[in-house]
Amino acid sequence: MIRLESVNKTVRSGPEDLTILNDVSLEIPDGEFVAVTGASGSGKSTLLGLIAGLDGPSSGRIFIDDDEITGASEDVLARIRSERIGFIFQSFHLIPSLTAHENILIPMEILGARNVRERSAALLEQVDLTNRGHHYPAQLSGGEQQRVAIARAFANSPKILLADEPTGNLDSKNGQHIFDLMKDLHARHNVTLILVTHDPALAGQAQRRVVLEDGRVIRDDLNHRDTETQRKR
Amino acid sequence: MRFILNLTRREIRSSWRRLLFFFLCIALGVGSVVALRSLIQNLTKVVGSDARALMTADVDIGSTNDFSPTDISTIEAVVSRFPTVEARNETISTAAMARPADATNERLEFVELRGIEPPFPLVGNFTLSNGEPFDFKLLENNGAVVARILLEELNVKIGDKLRVSEGEFTIVATFDEEPGGTSGFRLGARVFVDKKAFDDAGITRTTSRIRRRILYRTSDNPTPFVAELREALKGTTIQVNSYREQQENLGAQFERTENYLALTGLLILVLGGVGVWNVARAFVEQKRKTVAVLKCLGASGTRIITVYLLQILTLGLIGSLFGVLLAQGGLWLARLQFVDALPAKMSYTVNLEAAWQGALLGVLISVLFSALPLLQIRTIKPKLLLRDENNENLSRLDWTKWIFGALCLAALLALAVWQAGSLRVGAYFLGGLGATGGVLYLTAAILIWALKKVKGLGPFSVRQAVNSLYRPGNQTRVVLLAVGLGAFVVITVQILQANLVREFDFSRNRRLPSLIFVDIQKSQIEELSRLLAERTGEKPEEVPTVRARISFVNGEPIDYQQREVRQQQGQIGREFAITYREKTDEHESIIGGAWWGSGQESGEPQVSIEERMASTLNISSGDSITFDISGRKITARVANIRKIDVRKARTAFVFVFRPGPLDNAPQSFAATVLNHVPATERQRLQHEVLDKFPNVQIFDVADIIAAVNRLVNNFVIAISFVGSFVLLTGVLILIGSVALTKSQRIYENAILKTLGAKRRMLAVILISEYGLLGLLAGLIATSFAILLSVAVTRLLMDIEWEFEPLIAILGVVVTAILVTVVGAAASFDVLFRKPLSTLRLQ
Repeated sequence: MIRLESVNKTVRSGPEDLTILNDVSLEIPDGEFVAVTGASGSGKSTLLGLIAGLDGPSSGRIFIDDDEITGASEDVLARIRSERIGFIFQSFHLIPSLTAHENILIPMEILGARNVRERSAALLEQVDLTNRGHHYPAQLSGGEQQRVAIARAFANSPKILLADEPTGNLDSKNGQHIFDLMKDLHARHNVTLILVTHDPALAGQAQRRVVLEDGRVIRDDLNHRDTETQRKR
Repeated sequence: MRFILNLTRREIRSSWRRLLFFFLCIALGVGSVVALRSLIQNLTKVVGSDARALMTADVDIGSTNDFSPTDISTIEAVVSRFPTVEARNETISTAAMARPADATNERLEFVELRGIEPPFPLVGNFTLSNGEPFDFKLLENNGAVVARILLEELNVKIGDKLRVSEGEFTIVATFDEEPGGTSGFRLGARVFVDKKAFDDAGITRTTSRIRRRILYRTSDNPTPFVAELREALKGTTIQVNSYREQQENLGAQFERTENYLALTGLLILVLGGVGVWNVARAFVEQKRKTVAVLKCLGASGTRIITVYLLQILTLGLIGSLFGVLLAQGGLWLARLQFVDALPAKMSYTVNLEAAWQGALLGVLISVLFSALPLLQIRTIKPKLLLRDENNENLSRLDWTKWIFGALCLAALLALAVWQAGSLRVGAYFLGGLGATGGVLYLTAAILIWALKKVKGLGPFSVRQAVNSLYRPGNQTRVVLLAVGLGAFVVITVQILQANLVREFDFSRNRRLPSLIFVDIQKSQIEELSRLLAERTGEKPEEVPTVRARISFVNGEPIDYQQREVRQQQGQIGREFAITYREKTDEHESIIGGAWWGSGQESGEPQVSIEERMASTLNISSGDSITFDISGRKITARVANIRKIDVRKARTAFVFVFRPGPLDNAPQSFAATVLNHVPATERQRLQHEVLDKFPNVQIFDVADIIAAVNRLVNNFVIAISFVGSFVLLTGVLILIGSVALTKSQRIYENAILKTLGAKRRMLAVILISEYGLLGLLAGLIATSFAILLSVAVTRLLMDIEWEFEPLIAILGVVVTAILVTVVGAAASFDVLFRKPLSTLRLQ
């Protein structure tokens, strides 16, 4: 369960304060697939970053599985991310000096996991990149890089997967492929998936749709939820 | 831990090329430290390790006067109480002119003539050139064993006869290495003869600078024996030395030299450290995204810092080991360059102790200089992956950074103190380096600021070049500092050399005489003077000299047996050449008391003392000073204190007597010829003088100048060697900074190309940028080199300083060209990149 209570985020922009998130409260049960949409600058990525503990809110509280992460130290947040959260970015953010295989190893090594090589190979197979493991990011296409990023995000079997416009830098064919892959993994591993996207077609395939405008939640469409999720709640 | 080790390994694999400059900076610095330390340690091993063999005995009793019967019996009485005394011999030595007896051979050379008696040597071995051991029988019948080099110098061979002073000797054998022969300054090649032959040749009667020695070999520690000898010889000017003290003195001297040289190495290493700091800073900047990703994936800041610190440590260690290899190369180079100036048996391999010290220094400097940039990793937030704004904390005071900075500085001071072997010298070194760096950096900052004022001027490419110097993350000031410092050292050395060589340039310097004749007996001076006047057309300047030692100052005895006096031998314990005259010299001035009037004095003897000696002895006019002249004591009243302008004066006598009391003291004369005499005539004249006055010693000033020039050249090569290492480090930093800003340049060029700039224009921008940078570096370096050379020549060397326009212009031009060529060559490939791929990546 992810819970946000009256979360605000303001940043300084020149002489003025700029409100990015304004009194956002949300509850996302385990295993739910939520699409967050909204215009550019509506606060989608910031919301995702706050849930991942990449930044702290200006006010309000955020809970992951009843553990409050607001005000937690960098190291505690790092630990929570390592154990429970996977993140997929629009611009992939693979480490350019490491091969695809090594990029996938990193989260597992940070956690001190065992049999990491086998797991990395299995993940590469799941994203259909078995033969590309020894390639560096610069040697891979955009779609391939994003698949590596997905494999990396799943490396520690997180309970939560956060995806920030993962198809934004890809053509429609590759974009759909990535989306299908995430959906498939979500279904197979029952992870909570929060997807930030501009694409209404992709958002329409989620169980729940949250729409942001100027930092506020203007629509939280629960109708997208399927009956199974409702039963779980 | 596995994560840290794995990531470190992978990071090194991918970044080592970018960190190559880091690696080379450390290697060069470590190489300098190890090479300089090894060189001096190896030299110590050859020259100073066996003071016993150097002295050829365990105990040395020396005097410039004859040992009186009382002295001999005193010494004998002490010897009889020490059964540890095993053997004894006496030697007598002097500098003399040697020439072949064959009148057709016109060569002549200074030699160090030494009369010895068996058993010789008491300690150590004496092997002849042919490998046979030295046998005293060789010296029978006026035989002489000479240094092999003398055969070449005089164009003679074994069996030929040699005239030395008034004696005639037959060369019977040669040697390459004599016992006690590797240290100290000496006038000429050594010639060994029988002591009896030395005495018989009459040299002792007509030569004033003779040193007599009684040497002993002991079976046990000679210290108590030496202590008793000193006690017994109190009140005399006889000096007693043991090899143990000699060894201690030599050891201390070599250690000081080694520490100073090590500091020079540390200077290069610290400059390398600046390079490391620069690389580490830019490296962290480049790794921001990677760090953010790692943090996003759950790695803590501390773990990430550990990864990069380990990476730096590994590269620092490999760089240091490579530095040790470089040091070995440097030592081989030193052998090529200085083989004539260094002892023949010297080893040119890296010393193990120096190697580990250097490696440790290299690793520590790597860590110290990268600590602060690495600390920056803490402030990198993972949210920059979502929005690149990471500057919100910059204005806040970062205490951790300050504390780490202070710790690094303290550690650096500790390193300097360790290398210098002294807190004071270490602190001065770091302070001086900081001040020099600060001044250079400030000048660079001012120049760059001034350039900003005119950045709108000139054609587009020049404007663009000036703009490039202000590019975000630019390395302009660091490059100016690093290259400027290197060029500064090299140019300073060049200017100093030019000034030094000019000072000793006979053809320019009219103040120097061309020939100096010394040890002329009273009975010879008139005739010699007349001969010189006839041959040179100039009456030589005659100066009477009496050899004396100081015995009492204001009635207080100078105890030559005391440790302090022995250690100050060069200053007050030595034998002085003193003179007497009626008038002051042209370039002397009286700063205390009054000069005496003309005419002989009847009362108390009066003496004039040179200013610095007066302050060493702590006396002023009115005080009394007693001299020992060949065993006779003369007490004189200090009439005045004299200041000598040593740059202009031809003679610099520390003590000058009023005529009268020394008129009948044992004395000799010196005569100087000022007129320039051509080389061939100088040689003929020397022969003519020696034929008539064989005891006279002749100094050809041209030879002395040549020797001084050789010495200066060796120093210049040695310092330039170090200076060029500093410059090389600067160039490395330049190449490193080019690499660091390359991605920005590629991006800029892609945009300019898209906007229609041709490759030619981009090349002009590139060359203008580095040309400008080099010009600034050259200007800074040359200006400060001029300032420092003025200070060193005027204040330290006490010679005249002249502006060297050629060196100054070359300094600026060569630095500018160097920076342009290196900078442009390192970035040239940028011009050939296709813009589309670059822009797509952004």
